[in-house]
Amino acid sequence: MTIDAVYILQLTLNGLALGLLYALIAVGLSLIFGVMEIINFAHGELLMLGAYAMTFALPVVGLLYWPALAAAILLVMLAGLLVYEILLARLRPDEFERSILITLGLSIILIHTVQYFFTATPRIVDTQYGFDGVEIGNIRITLTRLIGAAAALVAFAGLYSTLRFTQFGRAMRAIAQNREAALMVGIRPRVVARNAMVLAAGLCGLGGAALAPIQLVTPYMGQFLIFKAFALVTIGGLGNIPGAVVAAVVLGLLESVIGGFFASAWQEGSVFVVMIVALLLRPEGLFKRGGMRVG
Amino acid sequence: MSAILRVTDLRKSYSGIHALDGVSFDVEAGSITGLIGPNGSGKSTAIDCISGFQKLGGGKVVLGDADITGRPAHLIARAGLMRTFQTVRVYDRLSLADNLAIAAQQFDPATWIDEFLRTRRYRQAVEASEKRARQLVELIGLQRYYEAETGILSYGQKKLVALAAALMPHPKIVVLDEPVAGVNPSRIREIEVALQQLNQAGETFLIVEHNVQFITTLCHRVIVLEQGRKLTEGTAAEIHTDARVLEAYLGMTPEMAEAEMRGAA
Repeated sequence: MTIDAVYILQLTLNGLALGLLYALIAVGLSLIFGVMEIINFAHGELLMLGAYAMTFALPVVGLLYWPALAAAILLVMLAGLLVYEILLARLRPDEFERSILITLGLSIILIHTVQYFFTATPRIVDTQYGFDGVEIGNIRITLTRLIGAAAALVAFAGLYSTLRFTQFGRAMRAIAQNREAALMVGIRPRVVARNAMVLAAGLCGLGGAALAPIQLVTPYMGQFLIFKAFALVTIGGLGNIPGAVVAAVVLGLLESVIGGFFASAWQEGSVFVVMIVALLLRPEGLFKRGGMRVG
Repeated sequence: MSAILRVTDLRKSYSGIHALDGVSFDVEAGSITGLIGPNGSGKSTAIDCISGFQKLGGGKVVLGDADITGRPAHLIARAGLMRTFQTVRVYDRLSLADNLAIAAQQFDPATWIDEFLRTRRYRQAVEASEKRARQLVELIGLQRYYEAETGILSYGQKKLVALAAALMPHPKIVVLDEPVAGVNPSRIREIEVALQQLNQAGETFLIVEHNVQFITTLCHRVIVLEQGRKLTEGTAAEIHTDARVLEAYLGMTPEMAEAEMRGAA
């Protein structure tokens, strides 16, 4: 195979789009870890719910992309709120083991409930954009990918400003950095945790809804993504949000390029090879860990 | 003067050992009150229970007119009792300005809707908070570091930041847990001066501290705990000559203490 510049550029663009969607999941995990110090094993299923919401919302609104996307995001935020209020709000800060069982159990229940109702048959999602794409010279990128990537970028800009410049964001960073100091000044830990969960679910909903027209939608789609997201969060430094974004984008690129030149088995494995090597070299993650850094 | 904090019959035990065995005391509004006692006498347990960071075994805590017994820590803070910790707790990766803004934000009347719409109520709250922050920063002498991350400050400076944060929302009382422990001796005097100025401006303090000289210089009243009970209470001078206190706490006789006082003077 000859390696030409156009092909590489094409792979790079695909990789960027993919990486930004990974980042949506990884950032949500990082937020939840930062505020509640738990790992949400059901995070991939929130994404899967977002994708299924898209498959059902689209026909209802006549295959219009934007209203369906908004509906999917809202639905997943609602799911996040319920998960927090019903399950996670009962956890005390020192119950890490219980949090694993609860979120892992929830993940299994969600997968099988969806499978029961909608079968495991992969669904293909069609939108008003179909397979339309933008062509620049010989490079072609589908509109759904482009929109997904752009929506992710907008979401990150929004998240960054929220964390950096609002009281709600400051309260989240305060709890993440020093729980007792935050309680001392009257910050309500449950309100902050609930907000973080809903925000993370919203990012996941966006990720799932944006992925739906790009990938096959199955009850298991969250599982494949969540382990990659764990790897990303670890490589990026637990709780370090820009770290997770950078790791996700680099991984998306890597996957795309490896997929373009080697067998797809290498594509999946490469993430974990990178994670193991990165953690051997820098046990704390590539970027500084913890405290919900946003800048 | 009236009591701003009334603690009655405070009890707490850990697996059968009475850390607090019926401690009662009042803190007068506008005073600096010291809480001293040997290691293990229950001082830290007492303020942890009062501020809601540990569960009470029994007793009653009243702040102003409000019964705050058994409330969770963040609600006690909202009721107007702020505290600092023995090991300093500031947000190292936030600027000094943000550290103080966070301390005040739960108390301002603006909601997130106000914030989103940048209403006048929000702008006023932010302005008031910034004004207070600048005053306090000036008082603790850290103006140069206003925009800097607190992580770069020294331990003693961070203790001052924690003090300023506790004062941000105009609390009814500030409880200081060993404010000068681990602070460079030359800096202790600065903390003394800052506390005296704040007290003259009307702030009420309850201070737990090992440094007896610090306590006797600052405090109007001193409460002495021993083995989970109140041994005695009185003015700094009274405490310093009380034979029971000297024996329990300082391990010396009144003559030895007098000799030491003369030596120090």
